[in-house]
Amino acid sequence: MTAQTSSTPWFLSFPGLIFFLGMVVLPLTLTAVLSFHAYDFNIGVLDSYTLSNYTTVLSDPYFLSIFLRTLRIALITTVLCIVIGVPEAYILSRMWNPWRSIFLLVIIGPLLVSVVVRSFGWSMLLGSTGLISKASIMLGLGPVRILYSEAAIVIALVHVMLPFMIIPVWTAIQKLDPGLEPAAWSLGASRFTAVRRIILPQISLGVLSGSLIVFGLSASSFAIPGLLGGRRLKMAATVVYDEYMHELNWPLGAAIAFIVLVANLLIMLAYNRMIEAKARKVLG
Amino acid sequence: MSFLTLNSLSKTYGNFTAVDAVNLEVSKGEFVSLLGPSGCGKTTTLQMIAGLAEPSAGSVMLDGREITREKPNRRGLGIVFQTYALFPHMTVAQNVSFGLEMRKVGRAERDRRVAEALALVKLDQFADRYPRQLSGGQRQRVAIARALVIEPPVLLLDEPLSNLDAKLREEMQFELRRIQQTVGTTTIMVTHDQGEALSISDRVVVMEHGKMTQADVPAAVYDHPATEFISSFIGKMNNIPGIALKLGIHASGVILPATDCPATEGEPAILSLRPERITIVPAGQGHLHGVVSARFFFGSHWLFNVDTAVGQIIVSWPNTDGSLPASQGQPVGLSWSPESARVSARTRETSRIDA
Repeated sequence: MTAQTSSTPWFLSFPGLIFFLGMVVLPLTLTAVLSFHAYDFNIGVLDSYTLSNYTTVLSDPYFLSIFLRTLRIALITTVLCIVIGVPEAYILSRMWNPWRSIFLLVIIGPLLVSVVVRSFGWSMLLGSTGLISKASIMLGLGPVRILYSEAAIVIALVHVMLPFMIIPVWTAIQKLDPGLEPAAWSLGASRFTAVRRIILPQISLGVLSGSLIVFGLSASSFAIPGLLGGRRLKMAATVVYDEYMHELNWPLGAAIAFIVLVANLLIMLAYNRMIEAKARKVLG
Repeated sequence: MSFLTLNSLSKTYGNFTAVDAVNLEVSKGEFVSLLGPSGCGKTTTLQMIAGLAEPSAGSVMLDGREITREKPNRRGLGIVFQTYALFPHMTVAQNVSFGLEMRKVGRAERDRRVAEALALVKLDQFADRYPRQLSGGQRQRVAIARALVIEPPVLLLDEPLSNLDAKLREEMQFELRRIQQTVGTTTIMVTHDQGEALSISDRVVVMEHGKMTQADVPAAVYDHPATEFISSFIGKMNNIPGIALKLGIHASGVILPATDCPATEGEPAILSLRPERITIVPAGQGHLHGVVSARFFFGSHWLFNVDTAVGQIIVSWPNTDGSLPASQGQPVGLSWSPESARVSARTRETSRIDA
């Protein structure tokens, strides 16, 4: 081995750094700069700088309600993914092949289908003339229209986000000593107690990483709220799109995008800190 | 009356019989080892007692009560797993306390019993540590304390010492026996280590291919192995094939004496002789002549490989005063008292010497 100089690590990470700078830092910086530009409806983006984009967004109830909805939908989706995904991962870990492979494929399935096709599939199911509504009419309960509601967005998001919850949780379960549960049973714990007291605390880090992925992707989701939420129900990503493409007010869109990014980061970091600090203390 | 009884307990997986009609009676306070090579069904037998594997046939009786189909959390047996299965997110005290919590034991009594159990395994200083901060032997002792604190009628040990290094394993053997004798719990230990089984159990149960082939006190299993497999699995054994005589065998033109000789005269037979029962005598004397081909030092004893007319014979020689009976290449005579040799009918082709 030749002697290492202090420049070697820099040299080795050079391609990654260039990629990161070009693909992440540069566009983000440009967006940030853009968000401080003034805008005039007749002229377009002006060369002067202002904070008015931020004050407009943060003082307008319309935008605030969209942020609130985004937060609510992302939270509900994350909670539902935990409620469904954790038991599913546990069951999956108790399965033997070939069933395990088959069910893994079923779980990853939604990711293999294009988001547009998947969303139109949901709109056929959830629309006022869709399968669920027709079944409800046949049962004499009258038509139900789930499409273009927050419920439709949540259903479709949970569907596609589940693998991002199940896979980290499943990985965490696989790392556990298979003797832990029998040990708990032998000490008098019921199956439920054994899972609650012994298994769950140890997979909390898996649930944490799953939640972060699901929350982040849900809060910034674009296609699903766009197709299943309709024109009226906006989420953060869709309203950014509107500002850019319909209003042509790029600086305002950039300001919204930046606010969403910062809010997302703050929520995820706080959550990460809270759970991780607790888990690390115990799990080492 | 026996305390724990296995009645023709069997376990089959498809066409494979893991455990084949095992009958065993264990008295209260007894320390029984299930000994056998891997895959002999000993762990499956233990799991059926624990309720972690469902028997295909037969029954398990505990203190007059049938527990064959009872859930593991209702049996109340103490189990020490091979991996210890300590709960990594709980401290030592919390681990030990878990079984008492499940039994809804009050806080004050729980603390007292946890402290008692930890004192029993000499870990009172480590109550607030997490399992990852302990050494292998300490984790092992936490597992024992956790299993014993619930005052189980039977303690089940699944290869409890196999994850420890040789030195620690020996210490823990004595420690295990001391703990078991202090609390007097009926104990069943599964092991593949014959030394472990012989040294600490009241009774050794040998299993081969899912069948129980011998159940006796350690000395009897060692001195009177019921099958040829046991004779070679437990300790070292010289197995010399020949033709049975009235008192011994005839092999390769040599007559080898033995008093314990149940084989029919004139039939093929095997003479079994433990290496430590053979004495090396000056060349020209003894029952068998040979040349020392190799010599190994084990600290407490020497092992000699002696080439003779009937093949290679292993001789063990205690290192009492440092004197050596023979060096490599030296012709020697081998002698033994005819009472120490056993002759059995030869049933199948077997290797002559098994380590």
